[in-house]
Amino acid sequence: MRLGVVFVSLGLIFGGFFALMGGAYALGGVVEDFGRTHGVSGLASLTNILILMLMIVMVFATLLTLAERKWSAFMQDRVGPNRARFPGLPNASLAGIPHIVTDVFKMLTKEAFRPKNASKVLFALGPMLAFAPVFALFAVVPAGPTLKIFDHPVMMVSTNLDFGLLYLFAIASLAVYGTSLAGWASNNKFALLGGVRASSQMISYEVALGLSLVGMMIAFSTVKLAGPDGMSEMQMQYLWSTRVGSFDLGLPAWGIFIQPLGFLLFFAAAFAETKRAPFDSPEGESEIVGYFLEYSGMQFGMFMIAEFVEVVVLGGVIVAIFFGGWSLPFGNEWLMNLAVMKQYPILLGAIYGTVFWGKTLLLVYLQMVIRWTMPRFRYDQIQKLGWQILLPVGLANLFVSGALILWDPSLRALALFGFFVIGVFAFLTLTPPKQVRQEQEAADDHHGGHGHAAPAPHDDHAALPASTH
Amino acid sequence: MSSHSHHDPLEKRELVEADIRERTYVPEILKGIALTTKHFLRNLFGERDPNPDVVDRKGLATITTVNYPEEKVDYPPGYRGLHRLVPREDGKPRCVACYMCATICPAQCIYIEAGEYGGDDEHAESRVIEKYPKQFVIDELRCIVCGLCVDACPKDAIRMDTYTHVPSEYNRQGFVYDIPKLLKGPAVSHPSDPWYKRGSSAPPDHVHKEAHTRITAGGAALAKRPPLVEVVKFAKP
Ligand code: SF4
Ligand code: SF4
Repeated sequence: MRLGVVFVSLGLIFGGFFALMGGAYALGGVVEDFGRTHGVSGLASLTNILILMLMIVMVFATLLTLAERKWSAFMQDRVGPNRARFPGLPNASLAGIPHIVTDVFKMLTKEAFRPKNASKVLFALGPMLAFAPVFALFAVVPAGPTLKIFDHPVMMVSTNLDFGLLYLFAIASLAVYGTSLAGWASNNKFALLGGVRASSQMISYEVALGLSLVGMMIAFSTVKLAGPDGMSEMQMQYLWSTRVGSFDLGLPAWGIFIQPLGFLLFFAAAFAETKRAPFDSPEGESEIVGYFLEYSGMQFGMFMIAEFVEVVVLGGVIVAIFFGGWSLPFGNEWLMNLAVMKQYPILLGAIYGTVFWGKTLLLVYLQMVIRWTMPRFRYDQIQKLGWQILLPVGLANLFVSGALILWDPSLRALALFGFFVIGVFAFLTLTPPKQVRQEQEAADDHHGGHGHAAPAPHDDHAALPASTH
Repeated sequence: MSSHSHHDPLEKRELVEADIRERTYVPEILKGIALTTKHFLRNLFGERDPNPDVVDRKGLATITTVNYPEEKVDYPPGYRGLHRLVPREDGKPRCVACYMCATICPAQCIYIEAGEYGGDDEHAESRVIEKYPKQFVIDELRCIVCGLCVDACPKDAIRMDTYTHVPSEYNRQGFVYDIPKLLKGPAVSHPSDPWYKRGSSAPPDHVHKEAHTRITAGGAALAKRPPLVEVVKFAKP
């Protein structure tokens, strides 16, 4: 029963991705065809903005407002929101979906209060500036292959910039303005302090953020994200491959394999940019007064939805840069050469689009689960992590990767190094920490010796900062 | 840290240098994620067992919530719930207006006005007792639910065995319970009750009815457990 509901919901989610992406390709093809007959090309970008950004990302983010609460409840052995009901269905909690509707109504009908001496224009500008850049980030992320539909190539990206990654960095740093403006314009010193914390954190981590991707840039010698010569699609190439009949098998050059350190650094830095737990000292829901202290109603809603859009967009960006974008780990050639796929390219596009959003969903889950697993970093720990760990490790990763790419341009040496790094982390994860080992040994030594040893707590140092001795 | 030091609980523990697994964060985070994900998957795929006895629950889900208004936990036996005035077989309160409960009540929330049975009272059996409560009022808002009134009563006339809370009200006056609101539940009679006073030494023509009654769902829990008081039954002559 429950299993059935879960699988039907999963089917609905992936079916939705499939239908939307198929629709996106079809609509793009129609619009492109219309445009070409009138002498304009690239009209498909407009429909991509409409479907990819306005529909998929926004709906995804809206659903996440509920999913975050429901998922966190499951992680903490709670039931989660289940009290709101649709009229006419008084006994069906529908997994809490009515809460989305009630939340929206609440946000829209609450008074948008403005403090007396707050700057009128800047106060109103704050939430917009926090929301817009986050949303615009997705413009360069490809959600599917370029396919010939109605004789015209249709790209599944809003804009195919040659400087995709640089656009990403530039727009990401714009988000600082929204938060610091919100803090400053509120005419409230606590909000101002929150804004200062937010901006110093975001600016600190921008350095590590940029540095972590340089390895990927030199590995593929491009800063382009979309298109056949973009980083996302180049990860489809195999490092090692064989064939089973017409089916191609092998290890693709995904960023996670050739740059695992780069992935960790980028993930950590981007997490800090999103200002979500464990990096949420700029504003910590109920505990830490933050930069949007004075905002209410839909203006606060903008900040909140911006956070969830950020989660989705970050998931998409990481998939595009480190997880092979929309491609499958193997069998891509086989799939693309199937007769039915050649005949109906829209089907192929829908499949790849579903793969992209499925990967994004996994990364969104990863961000959520980290948020509900990790305790918050203290402010000095945040700065230490950024400047004393991420930055040096990023530099070291850059030099090692650069040397390995120079030595072996086929990226195989880089991949071996990547596997070494992954192996080290796997080893560390699977072996118990030193103190636990010592305690086990001590317990074995004294087994049956003098009485019952009080179990020593061994978790009292687990959350200490890395540099504490 | 020496391998022996932690056997002495009084010895001050030295601060242990964090392990490489903690200093690099990643392995410990991965372990944490594995744990959280395990709970997530168990609760996603497993159905919550609605058994109100949480420790008796079975199944995959680890959620311990009891969905309160729909599902209720049985109160344990001996739970002190809302007061009731115990009725006799004829429906009148057993109370003889002795003021014991009002006297012992630390919150002074019991107010009693005694009335007297006249010699020509129509209720013949009531003639053997002199007093009855004309008014018996408990202010449930002031009550601290200590149960002393129940212990003090010589006539087993006030009990807290209803296994319900004081229900919510919109005004304070609603919490002031008078006889019509208090007098409820199964009747209780004891062989020694004065209104059964006999003229001869023959055993009483009545069966002792011990009422360890549960008015609400709490009764199910009590029924499972052995009786707290042994029920003595008097045989008919
Ligand atoms: S339970 Fe205690 S406080 Fe309440 S009426 Fe009885 S004696 Fe008074
Ligand atoms: S309830 Fe019991 S203690 Fe209180 S007045 Fe009546 S008989 Fe006496």
